[in-house]
Amino acid sequence: MKLETRKIPESELEMVEIRYHWMTDEIQEIITFVKSRQGQLSAARDGKRFEVPVVDLFYAESVDDRLFLYTAADSYEIRMKLYELENLLKNKSFFRVSKSMIVNLMKITSVRPALNGRFSAILKNGEEIIISRKYVPALKQILKGGES
Amino acid sequence: MAGRKWKELLIRALRLYTLLVTLITVLMIILGNLLDRDRIFSYDAFFSPLIYALIGTVAAMITHSDKELSVRDLIIRKVISLLIIEGAIVFIALNSDTIPTEKSWVLPGLALGVFAVFVLSHIIMYLIDRKEAEKLNADLSRYQEKQMNDHA
Repeated sequence: MKLETRKIPESELEMVEIRYHWMTDEIQEIITFVKSRQGQLSAARDGKRFEVPVVDLFYAESVDDRLFLYTAADSYEIRMKLYELENLLKNKSFFRVSKSMIVNLMKITSVRPALNGRFSAILKNGEEIIISRKYVPALKQILKGGES
Repeated sequence: MAGRKWKELLIRALRLYTLLVTLITVLMIILGNLLDRDRIFSYDAFFSPLIYALIGTVAAMITHSDKELSVRDLIIRKVISLLIIEGAIVFIALNSDTIPTEKSWVLPGLALGVFAVFVLSHIIMYLIDRKEAEKLNADLSRYQEKQMNDHA
């Protein structure tokens, strides 16, 4: 794929144009990346495409090699890997809480102890998710303002 | 990440060990006073709570898993852990000269005492975790407030 960048005067609108023959996973990934930089993720629900604002996301979960995004009431499927999404949203208050899940720290109401050193997080929509024991030290650090 | 994980595990093991030493000592004082008041021990007896607590801690660490366990698997591991501790303590008791296992109440009393310490240690560990959760909640509130102010 040929890559072309061009410096333009400030009076012109900055834009990314993608010219493609076929919509491939690679193209979709690039689109997802560009949109995430603008605070949106391109995901699908019932065969339709939606632009999901990152701030509305509660958590993302990987199930059988498929990645799902969850907002307060809806769920969407996104075509990328969990670690890719994690990297993409790293500076947007998202944090890995288990092998298969990242959560938006801004959507957690409270944390309480679960069994065997684990914690569970109550989300603002009432859902409860488990924070694995191995991620708790990193969570403590990030909440104190450090990098995970 | 791995270093932090081991540090956290070590802290948890030390916390459990200290807790078990305390609980076992208290249990020995209570059981001794109730059931075998006139017995006199040598200074070696001070080692008993340390050894029993070590057995309890090792059993808890053996059944520890990095994997995410279901509640069912967790309960199975806890039962295995309890059985290992009960077995080890009974084995020590049967091979010790200082524990009067010939008396009929000693072994059941010991087993019951181990169970009581096991349950108590879990309750106390839960209370410690609850305290930790309170701290996490305070940090979380501060974090959320800071993020909102930064993006306002």
